[in-house]
Amino acid sequence: MASFLFRTIQSHSFLLCPTTLLRRNNGAFYCSMKSTHTQTATQEKQQPPPKIKSSPQGNQAKTRTLDRISKEYEAIIGIETHVQLSTLTKAFCTCPYNYGAQPNTSVCPICMGLPGALPVVNSKVVEFAVKLGLALNCKLSFNSKFDRKQYFYPDLPKGYQISQFDIPIATGGYLDVDLPVEYGGGHRRFGITRVHMEEDAGKLLHADDGEYSQEITFPIIYALQVDLNRAGVPLLEIVSEPDMRTGLEAAEYAAELQRLVRYLGVSNGNMQEGSLRCDVNVSIRPVGQSKFGTKVEIKNLNSFSSINRAIDFEIARQALLYSQGKADQIVQETRLWEEGSQKTVTMRKKEGLADYRYFPEPDLPEVILNKEYVDSIQSSLPELPEMKRRRYEEMGLSMQDVLFLANDINVARFFDATIGKGADVKLAANWIMGDIAAHMKNEKLTINEIKLSAAELAELIASIKGATISGKIGKEILFELMAKGGTVNGIIKEKDLVQANPSEIEKMVDKVFSENPKQLEQYRGGKTKLQGFFAGQVMKISKGKANPGLLNKILLEKLNAKS
Amino acid sequence: MGSRGLLLLKGAAPKHHIFNNTKGSIFSSKMPTRYYYYDYDYNNRTRNCSTTTTRSSLEPPDVPRLAQTARISLTPHEVEEFAPKIRQVIDWFGQLQDVDLDSVDPALRADSETGYLREDIPKTFKNRESMIAAVPSYDEPYIKVPKVLNKE
Repeated sequence: MASFLFRTIQSHSFLLCPTTLLRRNNGAFYCSMKSTHTQTATQEKQQPPPKIKSSPQGNQAKTRTLDRISKEYEAIIGIETHVQLSTLTKAFCTCPYNYGAQPNTSVCPICMGLPGALPVVNSKVVEFAVKLGLALNCKLSFNSKFDRKQYFYPDLPKGYQISQFDIPIATGGYLDVDLPVEYGGGHRRFGITRVHMEEDAGKLLHADDGEYSQEITFPIIYALQVDLNRAGVPLLEIVSEPDMRTGLEAAEYAAELQRLVRYLGVSNGNMQEGSLRCDVNVSIRPVGQSKFGTKVEIKNLNSFSSINRAIDFEIARQALLYSQGKADQIVQETRLWEEGSQKTVTMRKKEGLADYRYFPEPDLPEVILNKEYVDSIQSSLPELPEMKRRRYEEMGLSMQDVLFLANDINVARFFDATIGKGADVKLAANWIMGDIAAHMKNEKLTINEIKLSAAELAELIASIKGATISGKIGKEILFELMAKGGTVNGIIKEKDLVQANPSEIEKMVDKVFSENPKQLEQYRGGKTKLQGFFAGQVMKISKGKANPGLLNKILLEKLNAKS
Repeated sequence: MGSRGLLLLKGAAPKHHIFNNTKGSIFSSKMPTRYYYYDYDYNNRTRNCSTTTTRSSLEPPDVPRLAQTARISLTPHEVEEFAPKIRQVIDWFGQLQDVDLDSVDPALRADSETGYLREDIPKTFKNRESMIAAVPSYDEPYIKVPKVLNKE
């Protein structure tokens, strides 16, 4: 409706100065079309996926508390992230790994830790580590090694984890993050301390069948179940510098890491499946104090929003203890985030540093990289999220659009392909963020699953822009393309949807005039409000194929000409 | 691989050693070979191998603590018996520490073999059944292990 009115005004101005500045008016007409799309699309534009839940407006009391805390205390947050690599086989043996496979089916003497079995490094693990190291702007160690980290736990069959200790494969990088617009936006750069390769442990399940756990008739209580499918699966551990100051920053850092590993194709980054696991360290100190406070580790963070909320809870908890003069009650410990109660609770207190008795893994040779190898990986790196965002920004897209489009690598690829076919940047962004995103959400589909191709979206945009079809018809075609596939031109031909040309519209106007002589007389008698009635009638007989701007222009000409 | 400690001290232990591994070991009862472990603080000692540490600077072993970190139980008599043997091993390292390495670049490894990497091609281990059969307590499809008693 708004667009209709807008067009009307445009055609008025065209009429008022019909001979002057035709070029400019053409320009204006073109612009108005563009903004019409912008308007219709923006109205239904999806908000960027609420990656981090906890609405900015909601819970104002909590926000105020946090504001007050942030004036008095500074929080220091560092994150350790474990990324499970999407290799076909495990890190040191050829067992295939498939999430959700029948327990203990993908095992061999190496990953079960049987005596005499020797590990052999999967080349993909080194490749992925180098990829991620480069993408995180790290310095690579051309000579590194594996070490054994010893501890006893039932999910660790060998009694040690093969990891990297004093010489990690990559060190000293950084990650650029754009904070969401709805939280005030801003750009942050967080330091990366190190990236190292290691193996995952198996999965430990607590058997609650009561069979063994209740009865204590046996000296050993067999109460845990172990699945060793995951034992030996390759991980990259990424340790950040303690550069984050709020839960939001930490959650956005984690979200950016997820984006990065997905862009690189080194991991699916799925938090629910545990392919991306974050442990955060939080300490606070009074503003102005240089000494760090006691740091607390939080585990069991299964989503970005829980990272955000757990940290903010922990900051508030520690600040309360500080303000009550009970700072000594903040102890070095591991706390668990409880999603149900939205709290962190003590899991275990640390008594000094665990003695992992690291030493070089004698069964594995040195990890040697050479310049050629690193250069070839460097040159094969895809466009990374940060680069993509800066490029989209330079195209003139708003930050909201930029963040939405670059968030999902597949959406970004679709967008890139669409504009690659010559589609208008802003229009393509609006269609994707509006009707296409809504359709994906409703049908629970990814952009790769909908039947619309980027080429057809580009064609659709061009058809509307070239006035072959109206925006309204364009929308109908879009839904048909998304659901059933096909081509824009095919549907236009099949359904005879080509926009009516001026002479056809003229004929329709004449028809409406002849069918409604009374109203025509009233109009010419001064009741100019009736213009809307005529426009509606013409639109009706055109079955939506008349371009509203053109229709109004012709209609007005004809209404006023014979008076 | 498969060994749980750093240095394998074959023959350095009494024959009737009690292997009381309550945490973590899945295969302890069916292990074909008996291993004895001794841990060595790699970071504090061997990392500084280029310094001119003398033999006497290496501390004598705290055998009860070592046994505890390796999750094995030793009788007082065994502790007494082990101590000099472990001391002997430490002294060997003491001798190595005495070597002047100031002019030698540190090596991560004794050898630098190349072409050790493997292609990422899945291959399923054929004899899984016999491995699973050797698990002391197996409850299809899980391996059952003792409940973890957290000492901390």
